[in-house]
Amino acid sequence: MKLSSCKGSRRKGLTMLGIVLMMGASVLSGCDKKKDDTIKVGIGQFAEHGSLDNCRNGFIEGLKAAGYTEGENITFYYENAQTDGGIASQIVDNFLEKGCDLICGIATPMAQSAYGAAKKQDVPVIFTAVTDPVAAELANADGTPAGNVTGTSDKLPVEMQLEMIREVMPGAKTIGILYCTSEVNSISAIEEYKEAAGEFGFTIVESGIQTTADIPLAADGLIGQVDCLTNLTDNTVVSCLPVILEKAREAGIPIFGSEVEQVKIGCLGAVGLDYYSLGIQTGKMAAQVLRGEKKACEIPFEVIEEAAFYGNTAVAEKLGITIPDALIEKAAQMFDTIEQ
Amino acid sequence: MLELQNLNKYYNPGTVNEMCLFRDFNLQIADHEFVSVVGSNGSGKTSMLNLICGSIPLDGGKIMANGKDISNLPDYKRNKRIGRVYQNPSLGTCPNMTILENMSLADNKGKQFNLRKGTNKSRIHYYKELLASLNLGLEEKLDVKVGSLSGGQRQAMALLMCTMSEIEFLILDEHTAALDPKTADRIMELTDQGVREKKLTTIMVTHNLRYAVEYGSRILMMHEGNVVLDKKGEEKKRLSASDLLDQFTHISIECGN
Amino acid sequence: MTVLLGILEEGFVYAIMALGVYITYKILDFPDLSVDGTFPLGGAVAAALLCKGVNPWLTLVLAFLVGALAGIGTGLIHVKLKVRDLLSGIIMMTALYSVNLKIAGKANLPIFSRETIFENAWIEAMLPDGVKRYVTVILLFLILLAGKLALDAYLKTRSGYLLRAAGDNETLVTSLAKDKGLVKITGLAIANAFAALAGCVYVEMNGFFEISTGTGTIVIGLASVIIGTSLFKNVSFFKPTTAVIAGSLLYKWCVSRAIRFGLPSNDLKLVTSVLFLIILVFSEKKRRGKKNA
Repeated sequence: MKLSSCKGSRRKGLTMLGIVLMMGASVLSGCDKKKDDTIKVGIGQFAEHGSLDNCRNGFIEGLKAAGYTEGENITFYYENAQTDGGIASQIVDNFLEKGCDLICGIATPMAQSAYGAAKKQDVPVIFTAVTDPVAAELANADGTPAGNVTGTSDKLPVEMQLEMIREVMPGAKTIGILYCTSEVNSISAIEEYKEAAGEFGFTIVESGIQTTADIPLAADGLIGQVDCLTNLTDNTVVSCLPVILEKAREAGIPIFGSEVEQVKIGCLGAVGLDYYSLGIQTGKMAAQVLRGEKKACEIPFEVIEEAAFYGNTAVAEKLGITIPDALIEKAAQMFDTIEQ
Repeated sequence: MLELQNLNKYYNPGTVNEMCLFRDFNLQIADHEFVSVVGSNGSGKTSMLNLICGSIPLDGGKIMANGKDISNLPDYKRNKRIGRVYQNPSLGTCPNMTILENMSLADNKGKQFNLRKGTNKSRIHYYKELLASLNLGLEEKLDVKVGSLSGGQRQAMALLMCTMSEIEFLILDEHTAALDPKTADRIMELTDQGVREKKLTTIMVTHNLRYAVEYGSRILMMHEGNVVLDKKGEEKKRLSASDLLDQFTHISIECGN
Repeated sequence: MTVLLGILEEGFVYAIMALGVYITYKILDFPDLSVDGTFPLGGAVAAALLCKGVNPWLTLVLAFLVGALAGIGTGLIHVKLKVRDLLSGIIMMTALYSVNLKIAGKANLPIFSRETIFENAWIEAMLPDGVKRYVTVILLFLILLAGKLALDAYLKTRSGYLLRAAGDNETLVTSLAKDKGLVKITGLAIANAFAALAGCVYVEMNGFFEISTGTGTIVIGLASVIIGTSLFKNVSFFKPTTAVIAGSLLYKWCVSRAIRFGLPSNDLKLVTSVLFLIILVFSEKKRRGKKNA
């Protein structure tokens, strides 16, 4: 008994010694950073879905257009936080440890994590897909950067969307919007919709949900009261769009989307942002910073202006709605099938 | 003075297994009486203790302690005046706390458990004296965790801790049953000594007929929720263990067990 | 150096919370999931108060108190309404999600532009640039140290003794004529107060409150407590609270190394839970082995 306990504590002592050595070694190995010429950029993405992925690809493409090609003179590190705030900050710490020259934060919480951690070491942060940089305190109220941070905003083209809905449905009175109460972007977008709706003769009926589990009931309730639905860039709602589309189809009312991917799977139409070009625009800003032409703190954030109409004729046919020719002519892309 | 008046207790009420244990059960225990309770399994000995301490709910009747009705008091409030030692030695002590800490806990019973120091250093000498009276050498092991002590040592501590504060009633629930015969004898001696010194009103449930005969001033035999034998004073003194055993067998045969 | 600072900062913050989890999980033997709600609760309180211009140091105190209230809530659900321990925590955690949104006003509340305990005019003016980089880690260490010493001291008081007794042997608490329910509520209040304090500090450090920050807090807490207490059990000069802090640092170090050496962050949760399971099984086995011996 005595002997075994003694042995046990010695083994434990060894384990501890091992741990201490490992920690020491890892810290040391972190210290002798090799100096090389390639530029390192860390890309942290908060969640995984189509528009954010497009952003990231566009960002890499934008840097390439400005002369930074992966494998030649730039190295990208990409990590996804999968909507976990704790991991987001860990990712940023890791980028900083690797000696990244610039960090790109995709979506608001990731951008905030990056800015919060990187500002201590004055590493520039470029954000994208942040709907309201001012509310996120990444920019001052006058649009100038809050620190060594700038980027692009994916503000929804609310008025253009409303105008499009009016054109497609001249007799419609009410528009329903489902949104998740814990997504800040959605809340500010709802306010904008409410403000602008009157101008186009619409009333907005909103229904807030907390989790994806609430969607079926909320959708049923909303669909009964409105002439059509329109989507925000609400991650929770968009991820459950097929459920809502099915319910709307049964009730015979259309859903308008907020980006092209949603039109592909069954929304009647959308005035959507092109997240890929948003990414490219962001990449070009990053290139300016990397070249040393300007500091991030000297560049005001940019809002993407180019929004275009996407429509789906197959959906229109099913609902017995005709999309006006004038719109089809303007459309960036029309689809005639519904992706399953 | 402890009085049980017309106690009713059912198990599994409202089901097919409903069983009435006590119906109009009455018992009076005078001050400073030391009552040994014997009886076969299921005779209601432990249930009686649980009812007195409030560990199980009462279905009817009254429990009076010194003339005050305590039937509706929660268990922890009744324990202000009651000390209880269980069959399982680990129920009376905290295994992960040291002997000293356990003694301090017991010493603070009845006081405010506030932000004052848990162990009052000036009392350590007193604790050591108490522990020394057990003759188990525990006074030298103040910083040892109680969990590493033997069952007998723990039970001795439980007994000591129980009688440290100002209690009136001592409830002993087969407190020697889990111990080897020698340790059990030692614990019984300590119990008797403690009861005499503190003049406690005591109820001891035991399966050891010898203890029931040797110790205490009154003996009860219970069967199916009734007292079938109740002797005190001279009558009790004349009772021997074999008399008790005869009585025991007698009841069992009568009931066809 | 950067990474070491990062690990220390994160490790210290989560260690404050882990001290609370140590109370519930190790002392009270109560698996309290409400921590997942009280950690962001502290953050929400901090962000909302800082936006109102409240003194940053005062927010620590208030977050601590609000966390204690939430803990009392969990305790009341468990003790008075007789809901099982795990479920009481889940109920509180779920309710707090909405409460946190109410307090912060929205799901994401930045405080980059506000003065915090780590960034304020005083630090800006008084400290030389070289030191500023270490301000965060030093302050965190001091807050953690204060918390640890206070907890150590508390566990030596009469009330602290009773708390330990409640986890060790509920029957004895009743025998001491004390309401064991009340003792549990006290323990939960202290534990959740620590969790909320950690959340408050976390938000001030990162510069923004985000509703999702609470997810998985309890796992980090439990991992820290279990790693710490099982690895350093036989190191006699380590108090359990010190072991918990070491466990938190070790855990954060492991996670940081895992990401550093190419583990995709997508797989992180799986790896964490497997690691967690291994430690749990090992420490259980050891405990059982000892009991049998």
